[in-house]
Amino acid sequence: MAEYIIDIDSLTKIYKTGKTEFKALDNITLKIQKGDFVAIMGPSGSGKSTLMNIIGCLDRPTSGTVIVDGENISKVSDNVLAEIRGRKIGFIFQKFNLIPTMNALKNISLPMVFLGASKTDRDQRAAELLAKVGLTKWATHRPSELSGGQQQRVAIARSLSNNPSIILADEPTGNLDTKTGEQILELLVTLNKEGKTILLVTHAVALKRFADRVVNMLDGEISEET
Amino acid sequence: MGLDTMKSYKIRTFLTLIGVIIGVASVIMVTTAGNSVSNFIAEQWNLFNPTGMVIGTGTGGATPQLSIRSVAFTTNDVDNIQRLPSVKKVAPLGIIPLNKILKRDGFLKWESRPGEAMYASTPALLEILNVELEEGTMFEEGKNEVVISKNVAEIFGKDKPLKVGDTIFLRRVDGKTLEAKVVGILKGSSIANMFNTLATPSIICPAKPYYSSYFGSNVGTILKRVVAYSVLLAEATDTKHVEDAQNEILNYLNSAQSDANQYKDQSSDFVVITQQYILVRIDQVMSVIRTYITAIALISLLIGGIGIANIMFATVTERTREIGTMMAIGAKRRDILQLFLYQSMIIGFLGGLTGCILGASGSWFVVDLLNNNIQNLGGAFSMGSITLTYAPEWFLIASIVGIVIGIAAGVLPARKAAKMDPVVALRYE
Repeated sequence: MAEYIIDIDSLTKIYKTGKTEFKALDNITLKIQKGDFVAIMGPSGSGKSTLMNIIGCLDRPTSGTVIVDGENISKVSDNVLAEIRGRKIGFIFQKFNLIPTMNALKNISLPMVFLGASKTDRDQRAAELLAKVGLTKWATHRPSELSGGQQQRVAIARSLSNNPSIILADEPTGNLDTKTGEQILELLVTLNKEGKTILLVTHAVALKRFADRVVNMLDGEISEET
Repeated sequence: MGLDTMKSYKIRTFLTLIGVIIGVASVIMVTTAGNSVSNFIAEQWNLFNPTGMVIGTGTGGATPQLSIRSVAFTTNDVDNIQRLPSVKKVAPLGIIPLNKILKRDGFLKWESRPGEAMYASTPALLEILNVELEEGTMFEEGKNEVVISKNVAEIFGKDKPLKVGDTIFLRRVDGKTLEAKVVGILKGSSIANMFNTLATPSIICPAKPYYSSYFGSNVGTILKRVVAYSVLLAEATDTKHVEDAQNEILNYLNSAQSDANQYKDQSSDFVVITQQYILVRIDQVMSVIRTYITAIALISLLIGGIGIANIMFATVTERTREIGTMMAIGAKRRDILQLFLYQSMIIGFLGGLTGCILGASGSWFVVDLLNNNIQNLGGAFSMGSITLTYAPEWFLIASIVGIVIGIAAGVLPARKAAKMDPVVALRYE
């Protein structure tokens, strides 16, 4: 049996708002191999964000098992979940989500702060990552002083800071023009070639071509895989 | 991280800080001023003999009140009290209100000043009051002689002070003007002591010929006039015998032997107020005032705390998505809690520290202001000045309360932040 970095079996997620129940994910089984570049596509409300949140350890399944890089996240404490997020997962958001009060270097260091790395280690690693995304000159600039593409590069550098095995990118090009978006995707492809498993959530059909595998979702179920 | 945020929200942080600073500074200013004034008053009273006491009539009981309007004590009483075993000295005190003090300034020319209080007594008074003569001698009973304080000596101008041997004229409120030769000048600018409750003595004179409070006493058919005083001052043989002296004096006064028992207003009691009693009373009054003002200052600290809580709540709401992001990149609930607590702690700490510094320097101004007022009040009589006396324990209390309030005010908002659901927080716009 092949070893899966993400192993989802009969995952169901139900949201309760008062008395009404909403089944966001319905009995999903999905296995992703290490080093894959997977695009998860579907219209809004299809459950792709919920799936993303569960794989990203931000949310827990209602039933079913989810194993992320060897860790069963179904029934662990908030602290352990936070720890797994910090070590194994790198997040990239549509709106970059950089901390506006911190400069680029400090933003990149932040995930290492939560894992207790020393300041020297943090600074060194953050500087390396900043160089990797080509923004060394912008180290002391705050997000508001950077362009959208630059901000997303900083966010990518941040997602790499604890050397995670999985990168989750939620509409990473949604707030960027096409050309910049392509550059960001190319950066993700490079990371994939370096061995990172990449999950790209998007509804931009044009981005399909970057992925090895496309998972289409509709109404909480996987409708089609290519 | 907390510092980064505080730098970014400069005005907000500054305004929050001010709340704490004012609270801490006012606690320190109030307690320092209170402390300094207490010490000042205690010093004023300590100039007087610790074995001293005031004898008068009034209402007795736990909080005795002196009335100085009615006269009761005769020279006979003074002599008898002097013989009591625990009494070292006793002196009468006759109050003579003056309208004017006059001085001849060349032929037919007069210089006059508004009257000061004059006291008829005996040479024993100086010993009881712990005051010495700087120059000259004590007056002699029956002669037109007075002893004056240094301030009275300068009443006609500092450049032309009255000297021993000078003659002044004293106009009593009954219109009678009496000649007086200055025979002695007291050391120091005033006699600041128990006397202050009556008036500040400036001129001391013999009962005869200046004092004229009499009782009409019928001896047969002839009306005999008896000189009587409203107040006596006494001192015990030593500090251990103050209470004995007090009891002996009261026993004597209430006995059939005493003239005062016969002359006093029958509805009033004899009252002996000791120096120790007065010091205790002053301390009680001061502590009530201090408690009251400190309570107000602590309330302003509390308001500062509410300010912190308010700002922290606003910050937490505003930074919801940031909190979500931090959780997504590995922050534990504890990290988020610490981040916000750390921030309110810094505000509390900085506010406490700045408040201490501001309070310390503010105290200096307050004491200076009080001193100016005292100089204005004092008129011819300088009462000395208040020395700035810090209350170090209140620096500690105020800064600790400031920090504690800072943390306490941060707890609820920080918990709110830490309890957020990362999924919901990330979606927050």
